[in-house]
Amino acid sequence: MARANQWDLIMRIIGILGGYACLGLSFLIVFEIFARKLFNHSLQGVDEIGGYVVAITGTFGMALAAVERAHTRIDVLLLRLPGRVQAALNLLSYVALGIGAAFMGYMGWRTLDDSLTFGSVSSSPLQVPLWIPQSLWVAGLVTFALSALWTALRGLLALRHGLANADRVLAPPTVAEEIEEARK
Amino acid sequence: MIDLAGALIGFVIMLGLMFIGLHVGIAMLATGVLGALVYFGPPVLLSFGTNLWAVMNDFLLTTIPLFVLLGELLLRAGITRNMYESLTDWLSRLPGGLLHTNIGACAMFSAVSGSSVATAATIGTVALDEFKRRAYHEPLVLGTIAAGATLGILIPPSVNLIIYGALTNTSIGQLFAAGILPGLLLTLLFMAIIAAAVLWKPSLAEQVTEVPPRAERLRRLRYLLPPLGIFVIVMGAIYGGWATPTEAAALGVVLAFALAAANRALSFPMLHAAFIATIKTSAMLLFIITAAFFLNFIVGLLGVPQAMSRAVTELGLDATEMILILVLFYLVMGCFLETLSMMVGTIPVVMPVILHLGIDPVWFGIFLVIMMELALITPPVGMNLYVVQGVRGHGELADVYRGILPFVAAMLIMIGLIIVWPQIVMIIPEALF
Repeated sequence: MARANQWDLIMRIIGILGGYACLGLSFLIVFEIFARKLFNHSLQGVDEIGGYVVAITGTFGMALAAVERAHTRIDVLLLRLPGRVQAALNLLSYVALGIGAAFMGYMGWRTLDDSLTFGSVSSSPLQVPLWIPQSLWVAGLVTFALSALWTALRGLLALRHGLANADRVLAPPTVAEEIEEARK
Repeated sequence: MIDLAGALIGFVIMLGLMFIGLHVGIAMLATGVLGALVYFGPPVLLSFGTNLWAVMNDFLLTTIPLFVLLGELLLRAGITRNMYESLTDWLSRLPGGLLHTNIGACAMFSAVSGSSVATAATIGTVALDEFKRRAYHEPLVLGTIAAGATLGILIPPSVNLIIYGALTNTSIGQLFAAGILPGLLLTLLFMAIIAAAVLWKPSLAEQVTEVPPRAERLRRLRYLLPPLGIFVIVMGAIYGGWATPTEAAALGVVLAFALAAANRALSFPMLHAAFIATIKTSAMLLFIITAAFFLNFIVGLLGVPQAMSRAVTELGLDATEMILILVLFYLVMGCFLETLSMMVGTIPVVMPVILHLGIDPVWFGIFLVIMMELALITPPVGMNLYVVQGVRGHGELADVYRGILPFVAAMLIMIGLIIVWPQIVMIIPEALF
């Protein structure tokens, strides 16, 4: 499963980069507040940059959340079903997640395509050509779709070694895992 | 245009998809797609593409990762144990002793951290350690932590209120202001119930008679400053009118970062762990929010709001009756659904009714969040119950169930109070805006 680990590692690096982006954004916003208050000078477009940071880190983050099983699922009924049915539904849910992400990616691509065709720029002082943030955003959505499908495939392959192995890849996190996560 | 039966079938389909374990966002997306295909055909779906970009790059939603990051940094800033001790100094002489510390610590910590799971796990770890050496009625100890950890989604800043505000177009500033008084009242109500229980049956808790000397207690008071200070500065920035909620969140992040640095808790591994947790949680939220916006968009096109309003008019329900029905509805839903899913999944159908009946959306947001708090502690799927039991690591889950009962009662009383006196919710936002 060396390749699986590599993908996970890439996702975690993406998460860390996204975190630095959010931390950097916070310092930028605070700097802007003080510049505005103290020197009556406003950096233009910090809010706009904030929007781009969220759209881009958000979609790439969805890919990270997919491999780490962080997207919310309701397991109250699931956990009461037989193990084989659970495994099948787990697999189904990740395939559906991939399809849903691909659907969002397709809609995102159409938006990007329009921006490219019409040469759209943001209606703000920054006048950012929209294809720049939007192409990263679409890349995030595509990564999300790939990430979900890759997780489904890994789960499927793990099934060969028994249900428990597949559950480690696809089952909703247990409470013990969530506590572990909170204490990290 | 859809009729009421069609809308309800759609809602049941969505719940069905959630219950077979599909991701909550996917269940909402799929229901929206299904509705669009059945009633309009594929082109309608594509018109959402432009909205998709608008939803995800909204400056308002920038608030979410920033508040999550603030919580994650604070969680790792090494303040919990000291904060717990200092609260013990001041609260332990009340009847119920350290049980009040649990409530106070949970309220304070969860208000700023925003995550009830993280609060239950963190305070639970510190508190249960403390209680090992003492003679307390264990179920009650577990109950205080599970219940206390829910307070953060009501006391601002609250990510749940931001999500509600974004989905229903309600002012975040007003929602935050509206959460303050009910949050404090609920905290006091929890403490009152503990005191009453212990006065009635003193064996429930150890009587603390000795506290450290006053000078020592005053010296340790500074440990309460970080969480209180961040709270006051963040909220003050919003209501002083010199920062938007997003800017206030950024300010909070910088403060939490400085605090972690001051406590020598800052390191690359610590930061990276906080970052990964932040991005994961925010992305999870953003996915659900995006799916909810999509569903809301389709639901609006389908005419569900009109169908719901007509139904309410035909039934001749007034606002109070509707709210009482919703209390029951959310109590039942909360027993089976994860809380955020419950909120975003029901907003498309419930919100039109609320607006039609002239119920204030700010008031309803607070109502909804208290119902979510209840859902966090009602069996069988109250997340906090499991987290507390998980941290405890021995004994029966039934102990937690028993211990939580008084606090479930307190929350129901709170719901009753805000129904009878809506001013409890509205007085602060009305004074400020």
